[in-house]
This record gives sequence, structure tokens and C-alpha cells, in this order.
Amino acid sequence: MISSIGIILTWFGFLNLILMCFSNKKNLFQTLVRINLFIHFLLFCLLEVGLFLDDFSLYYIANHSASSTPPMYKFASLWGSLDGSILLWNLVLSIYFYVYVKFYRATTELYDIKIFAMIILFFNGFTIFSSSPFSGCIQLASIGCQDFTLLPFQDLVLSEFGRGPNPLLQNHPLMAIHPPILYFGYIGLVLPFVIATSELFNRYKNENWIKIAEKATYFPWVFLTAGISLGAAWSYEVLGWGGYWAWDPVENVSFIPWLLATAFLHSSKTQIKEKTLINWNYVLACLMFLSVIFGTFITRSGVLISVHAFSNGNIGTYLLIGLLIFTFLFMYIGIKNIEYFKTSRKVENIFGRSGFFVANNIILSASALIVLIGTIYPIFYESFFSRQLTVGRSFYDILVGPLLLILLYLMVFSTKIAKVNMNLKKWIIENQNELNISLIISIFLTIYYRASYKFVLTIFGSVLLIIIIGKNVISKYKKTKLQGSYWTGQISHLGIGIFAIGLVLNVTQSFSNELIISTGDTVNFGEKEFIILSPYEEIKEEKNVINLPIKFNDKEKNASLNIFKNSSQQAISSPAVFRNIQSDTYITIKVIDDDKFKLIFRENYGIFILWLGLAISSSSFLTRVRK
Amino acid sequence: MNKYISIILLLTLLLLPLVIYEDNNSRYEKLSKSLLCPVCQGETLFDSPSEYADDMRSVLKEQIDNGMSDKQIMDYWTARFGERINTNPQNSNYFLILFPIIFGLVFGVLFYKKVSND
Repeated sequence: MISSIGIILTWFGFLNLILMCFSNKKNLFQTLVRINLFIHFLLFCLLEVGLFLDDFSLYYIANHSASSTPPMYKFASLWGSLDGSILLWNLVLSIYFYVYVKFYRATTELYDIKIFAMIILFFNGFTIFSSSPFSGCIQLASIGCQDFTLLPFQDLVLSEFGRGPNPLLQNHPLMAIHPPILYFGYIGLVLPFVIATSELFNRYKNENWIKIAEKATYFPWVFLTAGISLGAAWSYEVLGWGGYWAWDPVENVSFIPWLLATAFLHSSKTQIKEKTLINWNYVLACLMFLSVIFGTFITRSGVLISVHAFSNGNIGTYLLIGLLIFTFLFMYIGIKNIEYFKTSRKVENIFGRSGFFVANNIILSASALIVLIGTIYPIFYESFFSRQLTVGRSFYDILVGPLLLILLYLMVFSTKIAKVNMNLKKWIIENQNELNISLIISIFLTIYYRASYKFVLTIFGSVLLIIIIGKNVISKYKKTKLQGSYWTGQISHLGIGIFAIGLVLNVTQSFSNELIISTGDTVNFGEKEFIILSPYEEIKEEKNVINLPIKFNDKEKNASLNIFKNSSQQAISSPAVFRNIQSDTYITIKVIDDDKFKLIFRENYGIFILWLGLAISSSSFLTRVRK
Repeated sequence: MNKYISIILLLTLLLLPLVIYEDNNSRYEKLSKSLLCPVCQGETLFDSPSEYADDMRSVLKEQIDNGMSDKQIMDYWTARFGERINTNPQNSNYFLILFPIIFGLVFGVLFYKKVSND
């Protein structure tokens, strides 16, 4: 039943979008956009209903949910695997379509509507022709379902149990939050693409496109920042991976659009004020979205190995075709507007205000390029040499690290140069006190942590940045209440300064030790003393949890090992984390051998500071909320 | 006067790490972070909770205790699992590091030339 309704409704959505692509009636599209949003919302709800009713006649539900799955994770199972996540993808696209028409639309022509409809049509088409979350089950597997049909009103078979979601995905409520927020960021980058291409298709009758594109990029940027941060928090606090960022391919492809979007938010300012970098802005506006499709392609087509990757036979080819179509559109419109791009002015004073934006853009896009190379190099290497290769953390540390350090100093110097042109000498004289204070703080910290150059250079830059922006914020708070895009920049930069301190502390100071213990032991790690209490087992419907309570001072926390039923996957270790401002003691169970436990103790520095910085940076959107 | 204080402070800061820097990462930590767990999906030995990785860690510890050099240890593992186990391929594959640098530089220079007056 749900299967048939879903498939038919998907077709309605498809036809509605086709109508939008071909209709030239200017008073019709608003209704169609609403209908589109309504249909995608209904589809979303329908699959949720299916999940909650345990309708295992649906291929997707039989394979990715189970009756024993707790409600919250049933809800989140919708985006737990490929087919369902495309449903969420389409819903978010439709929401953005509606938002675009309501808030950002500035033309009376229909090019934008058609381009937008075409993009949604493309993703909708996948659920129609290749694999839909509503496809019905026609052949059972031992658990779950083996084969499906894309047609409505078929005789469906009902499996008795569902296979259940991937154990990693039913471990923490963040599963319900992180993917949608990330999607809102990731997919929101469709807005600048649509705005740039349609406005220029229109032969720039509306020169304002860059202003609208800049505004429309900002909120997706906030979502992307928050989404990536939440993912990092999830991986660190819950999954027991020990780290918050592993330069995993899927993490990288969310980072590339972030870097490009950050570059665009800066470079668009120079076009708005000085009519420079017009061609580059067009490229960036489109590249953000293209990098999203490309990223989805390489992580969902199965060409890469990653903890995050899930794929299904033909989505790779499908996305590749989409990538080609959208790239063609981008190039065609670009070539069509060569004359317009020639009106772009040269940057007047490369060592002044605009210079910062140019340098910022070079560094951010070079970083995006490096991350891209690191992510896809193994694929090329394998196809040319038939040998596998792993590009790990140190590759990015060596190449991206120094670039981000330069960026930190650019932020420091640019802080007071929003209005006047830069003169290094004058800058130093004006900020003598701030410089001296940060030098003293840095010296103190360097001695305290017995630190390396990596630490010294980062900490000096960050402390200086924080002091300068902090002073700026305090002195102007009463006058401006920190409203407006200038403050958006200041608050984001402040967050990044704090983040950089946490990051460098974490990278340079953390240490770890592996210990074999039995219950009742007292463990000394670093200068801290931990008492291991006796373990107990919790038996839940979908998993067994072995909890090992650990006592530190007066606090008691569990390090646990989750063993999932109905799953061939290995057990998942959840850490016990004892946090203070400076560092976390992070304890995970690695292996249990009778009454012996093998525990990994890590002293992870700077985590609190790092989260704080990311939170401040993400909350910069408050400066754009009108009161 | 203020100027001289700044210069002295800056010099102190820049010279400090030479004197006091202490590396608190053990060889075990470094090596287990540069080896990939072959049965996991993109995790290093250091991070992986799998039992297989645990066995590998024990072997690695023995190797370190026996005084094998970093190179000997890496050779041992690459011989058994192929070069994909090494997560620092740039240490032997210089192309991997040069290529992005050249690419980035060319991009930067072109960009700069295109937007500036000269």
C-alpha cells in the first residue's frame, strides 16, 4: 500500500517538475513550487509512516530498519542509507526552491525556475528510474529483502524481521540531527548556482546577482559549518573513533564545498564594492554546487573506501551524467557572457584591502584543490598502477596546514582594515600593546607546554586575533549591537581564532597509552588517577551493552562496548570522557578478554576550546538575524 | 622603547622551541598512526577497535621493543599488506607532494596576474 502510494506520488512530483521546466506561464510557477514542496514533504512523511509501522513489504524498510529499532532511530533510518537519503535530499532541495522563490528571487523571467526545476527533476528521476525508497519487495533474503520492483500495485512479499540500520547509526541521537543539518548546508549551495547561471543566462539584466548570491550562500555556509562540526563531535564523543577529523574521503568532500563557499563569501564582497573578480565569482558560485555533486559522486558510487560510504550499483553513472550536464550549463553560460566578464575591473591596490580578499581566495581555493587531489589521487593511482595507495593525515598536514596558518595571519591583519588601506608599519604601531600582550601570553604558553614551532606560530596568531577582535567587539558593542555583515565576519573570525588554539593544542600535545586492567584496579595515567569499577551488562532489544564504570575524582562514567544483534559488524566502543577546559581524558575499551580489559587512555588536549570555537563561528548567523 | 620590548619578546618566542621543545609522542604512537588497519574501512591501526588491528598492534610493539628501525618496520608491513598500508605515501612518493604544490603555485600566480594591475 505505502509502496504504491509512494511510487505514484513520486511520479506526480516528476510530472509537476516537468511541467515547471516547460511551462512559460509566469503566474503558474508559484503554485507549482508549492505543490512540489508539498509532494516531497508528503513523500518524506509517508516513508516515516512506513518506518514506524514496520512495513517490511518495502525493500528499503526491510533492509534498513527493524521492529526492534528504537523510535528515534526508526525516524533517522530514513536517511540511513542511499535510497532514503535521496528522499531527504529532494525534500531539502524543494525547501530551498520554495525559500528561493519567496526570498531571493529578483527577476521576472523564468530561467531560474527552469534551471532549479531541472536540478530537482534530475534527482527525482533517480528515484523513479533507478532505485526508490518506496520500491516494493518481491523476493526475500534470509533477513531482509533481496529484490525489488519499481512498479506500483505488485504482489509484494513481507519479510518477518527487518535487517535493522547500520549499528554505527543507532548509537546516538546525533544521527537524527547531523545528516539533515549537513544536507541543508551541502544542498543549499544550489542557490548560488541557480542564481548565477539564471541571472547570466538572462544576460545580466539584473546586476545585483552577486549580492543575492552572497546572501543566499551565507545560510547554507552556516549549516555546513554546523553540520561538519556536529559530525566531528559525533565521531569523537560517541563513535569512539578517538578523533574528530580523519581526512576521510567523505569528510573531505564536505570540506571542499566549505572551503569554496568561504572563498565565495569573501570574494563576492569585492565585486559588490569594486566590481572586481566578476568572472572568478561566477566560477566560484557554480563550482560550489558542482563540487557538491562531484563529492556525492565519488563517495556514493563506490569508487572509494570510507567508513561513511554507501552505494548502489548505478547511482555513480547517474551522478556523473548529472555532473556533466550541470558543468555544461556552467560552461555554456560562462562563454555566453565573455563580454560581461571583460567589464570586471582590475584590483587596484593589491597590497591594500582587496589584496586580502585575493590572497584569501588563492589560499582557500588552493586548499580545496589540495584536498581534492588527496581524495582522488588513490583512484587514479589504482587505475594506472593497479596498486592501492592510502593518502593519510600527514599529507594534508604538510600541505594544507601551512596554508591555513597563513590564512590565520591574514585574518589578524585584515581585522582593522575593513575600511582603510593597509600599511604594515602603521598597523604595528597602532597595535603595539596587543602585539606585546600576545607575545607574552605566547611565551608563557610555549614554556608551559614545551612546545614546537607549529604551536608557537599558531598560538601567537590566534591569541593576537582574539585580542584584537575581542577589543573591537567590546568597544563597539554598545553602538552597533553587533548587527550586520561586518560583524558576521568578525564573529566567525573570532571563533576560528579560538578553534585554532584548540586544534593546535590537540595536534601537538595529546598523548595516549594502552593499558590492560582488571576490575578494581587503580590506574595512573598522566598525573591523574582512575579507579576501575566492576562491569555490568545491559541487555536491550537491539543490542547488548557492556559497561565499564570508571571513577575519576567524584565523577563516574561508563566506557562501553555495544554489541549489536542481527549484525555481522564488529562491536562499537563508546568512550568515557572526563573533560576540563584544557584537556579530555578519553577512555575506550578495545578488547575484552575474560575478566581483563584492554583500555586505551588518551589525553586529548584542546577539545573543549575547539568545540567552543566552532560553536562561536557557527553562531555568527545571529548577526544577520534582524531584530 | 615599546618597539624594543616587542622585538625582544618576538625573538624570545622564536628561539624558545629550539631550547625547550619536547616530543611527547612515542614511536609506537607515530608508527601505529602511519599504518592502516587492513580490514577496517580507512582507519589507522591506532584508531581501530577491531581485534585484527589489536593483534597487529601487539606485533608492532614487539618490533619496537626489539629495536627495529622505523624503516625496517614499515618495510615489514608493506611487504605483507602492500603499499596501501602506509598512510604516509608522500615520504617515498615525492610526486604526490610536488604535484599539488606546483599546481597550487601555478594557480596562485595566474590568479594574481589576472587580477592585479601589472
